[in-house]
Parts: sequence; structure tokens; C-alpha cells
Amino acid sequence: MRLLILNHIENAIEALRSTRTRTSLTVLGVTIGIASITLILSLSGGATKVITDQVEELGGNIAVIRPGNHQSQSQLDSLTSPVTTTFATSTLTSNDITRLQAIPNIQAVAPLMVISGGVRSDSNQPKVSSIVATTPDLLTIANFPISDGQFIDDITNQDTAVIGSQLSIDLFGTDRSIGKTFKIKGKAFTVIGILKPINRPINYNNVDFDHTAIINLESGKAFNQNTVQLQQINIKASTKETLPAVLEAANRSLAESHHGDTDYTILSGGDLSQPTSQLFYAVATTMTAVAAISLVVGGIGIMNIMLVSVVERTREIGIRKALGASNAHITMQFLIESLAMSLCGGIAGYTIGYVLAFAISRSFLTFDPLFNWQIAAITFGISLFVGTAFGLYPALRAAKKDPIEALRQYH
Amino acid sequence: MTQSNTNTPVISLRDLKKHYGIGDAEHTVLDGINLTIEKGEFIAIMGPSGCGKTTLLNILGLLDRADGGDYLLDGTSVESLSAARHARIRSDQVGFVFQNFNLVPRLNVIENVALPLTYKGIHKTKRLQMASKMLGNFHLSEREYYKPWQLSGGQTQRVAIARALVNDPSIVLADEPTGNLDSKASHVIMEELSDIHKRGNTIIMVTHNPALTTYASRVITMLDGQIETDTKTPRKPTNKLSTSKRRLDSNAKKAAEKPKRKTRAKKPTKKDEK
Repeated sequence: MRLLILNHIENAIEALRSTRTRTSLTVLGVTIGIASITLILSLSGGATKVITDQVEELGGNIAVIRPGNHQSQSQLDSLTSPVTTTFATSTLTSNDITRLQAIPNIQAVAPLMVISGGVRSDSNQPKVSSIVATTPDLLTIANFPISDGQFIDDITNQDTAVIGSQLSIDLFGTDRSIGKTFKIKGKAFTVIGILKPINRPINYNNVDFDHTAIINLESGKAFNQNTVQLQQINIKASTKETLPAVLEAANRSLAESHHGDTDYTILSGGDLSQPTSQLFYAVATTMTAVAAISLVVGGIGIMNIMLVSVVERTREIGIRKALGASNAHITMQFLIESLAMSLCGGIAGYTIGYVLAFAISRSFLTFDPLFNWQIAAITFGISLFVGTAFGLYPALRAAKKDPIEALRQYH
Repeated sequence: MTQSNTNTPVISLRDLKKHYGIGDAEHTVLDGINLTIEKGEFIAIMGPSGCGKTTLLNILGLLDRADGGDYLLDGTSVESLSAARHARIRSDQVGFVFQNFNLVPRLNVIENVALPLTYKGIHKTKRLQMASKMLGNFHLSEREYYKPWQLSGGQTQRVAIARALVNDPSIVLADEPTGNLDSKASHVIMEELSDIHKRGNTIIMVTHNPALTTYASRVITMLDGQIETDTKTPRKPTNKLSTSKRRLDSNAKKAAEKPKRKTRAKKPTKKDEK
């Protein structure tokens, strides 16, 4: 059997070129679908990569313990019932911190207690910002660059705070605000350190440290009837190699203190990014569904145009058959034509998707879209599938035409 | 006259039947055709419109299927062959000249002529060279890049014939190959056909023009889906004759005898076949 793929490609280009307008309109349908898929994949991938990169950057020996059992929770659940994760009382206790600190090879344990409320300086209106109560260990784990002053520690006065650069500007109009005071829920705190601009609103701590006031855990407890309400506990193993052993030990220790209930989740490596961007993922899933619908519509467009094309070229099909084309040749000829359209749409969509992704990330987001071969392969596969699935029926219909009937058309 | 086995006829039809329509509208187009064609024959089929000439040609070219009877091509019943095999035979062995040219309007002249070679799997450059050479034979070299609708009727016809001959088919089926041409142009085409014939190929031509039968080695007249006369096996007509049929018969016979007398006298090959 002679395949003649090259001939068919040449032929398809020729045929599509002769009906330029309607071909480009058909291709547009696929382009839009593929563009949205590329956009979604590259942006959500980018968001995930930001976090995994951060963890890698910090040595890859960091793990996070969060309250609740994320593994048993689907993404949809977390979207429809945010109460469970956001507002419920945390299952992590100060006892857990102590236990974790006792594990060998753990270099640092930093609990994060996020306090809701505003901060205000004397001169200004209250600013809504996040307030994080933690221990000095956080510096060891997160490795914040400090532009001025020092990080919180156990020795200095407990009513001190380290603030993010942007918060400093918002509160005092300057990023050199050491020694100035501001109030959290009426209680005065003195600024002893200012962080350098980090510009990483998406991170594994779920806290934008540029806009955050960091206070001591003890001060934090004072705002919450002297109990801790931990959003997460960050732990750091001494090296990357000891991390698995540390996690094992942590899991055992926590299971013991929680009486066997796994109402906590230990995340490390790539998993760290998962709960962080759950909402993002939910949005991405919805958008993917929308993109899939637009792809189906695009595919139907291809099928429609191919059916028209088959009818228009009935004579040509008859002639080709009379001159020796087999059914397989005719099928391939039309299938390759529809594939040419869907692949053109795929390439255009991929390009446009990335142009849009970069435009969006540069103007609204703080991270770059992810750029890897998987996304290229997925979009290529999808366009291939669309072209085949929607081009097969018209192609088979063309091949099935009786040559005599076909030649008799429009005499 | 050719090197291949001469004992198997290239085409052998036994009681071939073809109907169109159903019930009251049923119309018999071919009503029991018995015909044996040896390799290297040049056959002219004549007959009034609607007597089944074109249908017969289509069945011979494997474009259509008979409803009854047997069609043996090279000793093999075509009924037993797959559709893909039919396509292969059309590609390798058969050249078609259609009554209405049937050029692909989208393609230019040289691409049209090269089209049959595509399905033989010949490389593009080679294909265009062969097509160009064939067009040269028909004095169409300067029209290679014209579109079919830019050609005159005669040129279109010549392109259609060039296309049928380009894949060097062993069987050429021509439906009124010179229908639209003046006698000079007809001559060019008939010379080309007889050249193909001289190379040992079988030619089956449908024509209304008795003058062209001078080129043929055998003349068959058809009437109402049956073979009326055949110069190879002369026989008395079985049906009652209409006057028009009589005239056709005599024309055919006259025409069939012509080549032996003058035009083809210098070519002994014709006689050898008979």
C-alpha cells in the first residue's frame, strides 16, 4: 500500500490555500481552544513551580505540617467548604512544636500563627495586613533577607516586630522605620527589623511577607486567649538526605500525640505547592472545561467544513478514484486536510496562549508562566486528536463515494 | 504480439448484465455481453446513444460492477478482488479517457496529467517530468501551467488523453477520445493511440465517428445492451433489425475493412493480430 503522505500534505496545503477565508475561520476555532489550554497550563504550572523552586532554593530540606487531612479532601471539597480549612480551630498544638523540636536531625521548627486584624501607626488609618506570630527559627527556614535591623529573637522585648518593606512604606511612608511603633489590636509594637522586598506573594507559607508584620509567638498567643492557633509548622532537616527520616519521625511523634488521628498533613517537595494553589487549581479546572468545550466547537467546525469540502469535490474524488486512488488514499487525503487545519490551530493557539500568558503574568502576576515540553506535547496531542476525531467521518464519507456516481455529479 | 502469455485473453466477459433502477423503472443497460479481448487489440465500439457503451467501458475499467455474469481480467474474476486491488489495477493497468474530460479544475494542466502517477507512488519531480514529456507529445508544452478552464475544448481533450496515457497503461479505455476535435487534431490523438497500441497495449475506444474505426483492428457495434456485430466473429444478427441499425452495421463493417485496404496497409501488425 502506497501511503503518499507527502503528496497528501502538499495536496492539503493546496486545497486549504484555495479556500483561505473559510479555512482560517475554521482554524480560529481550534486556535482559541488550544490558546486557553496553553494559558491555563502555563500559568498554573508557573504558580506551582514558584513554590517548588523556593523549596529547592532553600536546600530542599524543608517540610510543612498543616492541620487537617488534605489527602482525604478533594479539591472540589476545599472549594465548596472553605470553613474546614480556613476558620476551624487548628488541630496543631504547642505540644506538637515541642515534640517536633525533640526529633533528631531537625534543625529548626517554626510554627506560623496567622492573626487576622489590622495594623495602624499613629498617623495612619488602620491597614489590613497579615500578622504572623512565629519563633526566631523562621529566619533559619525561610532565610529572609533583612535590609535593616534584626529578626525577632527570644532575648529582646516580646513587644517587637519585624515588618515587610511594603508594609513599612504603607505605615510610615518610608522603608527605614526602625524604632517606630505601630499598634495591633490596640497593643503597641516596636519595629526592630525590616525585610528586604521579596515580591513572592505565592509561597509555601501562604503569607505575603512584603505586607506582613512578624511578631513573637508569645505575643501572638496573647491575642488568642493564650492558646496557639497554628496555620502550619515549618520544619527544616539538617540536610536534604536526612529529610525522609525526619518526616518519618515527625509523623510517628505526631501520631502519638494526636492519639492516632491523622488530623494533620505533612507535605514536602512538590506537594508543598498543592494546597497552596487549591483555589487556583479549581479555577484552572473550570477553565479547562470551558476550553474543552471551545475545542469541541472548533472540532465541529472542522467537521462541518470538511463535509462541505467533500460535497464540493465529489467530482474530484470520482476522478481520483478512476485514476487509481484507493479508498485509503481518499481517506488519508481528507484526514490529512483536517489534521492540517487542527495542527495549524494548535500551533497558532500555543503561540497565542504563551503571548497571553506572558502578558498576564507581566501585568498582574509575580511569576512567569511555565515553559516545558509537557505543555507542548499536551497541546499537540489535543490538536492531533481533534483533527482525527472530527476529520475521520468526513474522510470516510469521501472514500465511500461510488466513482461512477461521483463522476456523474454536476454534468 | 507481446511477450506475455498469449493464451489467456486480457479481458473475457461472459453473459455480463447491468441494470439500473428498480421495479417499474428498471432498465437493462447491458443484457448479456459475451466478449473476449486478446492482448494488443485495438477495439472500436460503436452504437447509438444509450446502448450501454459507456457502462460497458466503466465496468471494464473497474469503476462499476456488473449485476450478473463474469468479468475475467487476465484470467482472474474481478468479483473476487478487493476494492483496494481494483484501485491498484486502475492505477497500474488502466488508462481512462472520459467523455467529458474530467480534469480536476483545482489543478493545473501538468498536475492533472501527473495525477495518475501519484497513485503509483512516483516521486514528484519524476512525475512532472513524465507529465511534461507526455504533454509535449500532444503539442501542449506551452500550456503546462494553465488551469483546465483556460484551455480550448480541443486542448482540454488532449490533456485528458495525455493523462490517460501517462502511466503507460496496458489497457486504454477511451470514451469518445476525439469527440470535440477537428480532423487534424483527431489525427494527432489517434496517432498517439495507435502508437500505444503498437507497443503492445490493448485499446478499447467508444466512438461515433466511423472514420476513426480505420485505426482499429476490430470493430464492435452494440445495440440495446447487446453486441450486434463484431468484425472478429462475424455473425448474423439475432434480433430483428431496424433500418438505423442496418446503416450502423454497414458503416462499421465498411470502417473495419478500410484499414486493410489503405490507411493501415503498410502496417502488417494489424493483420498479425487477426
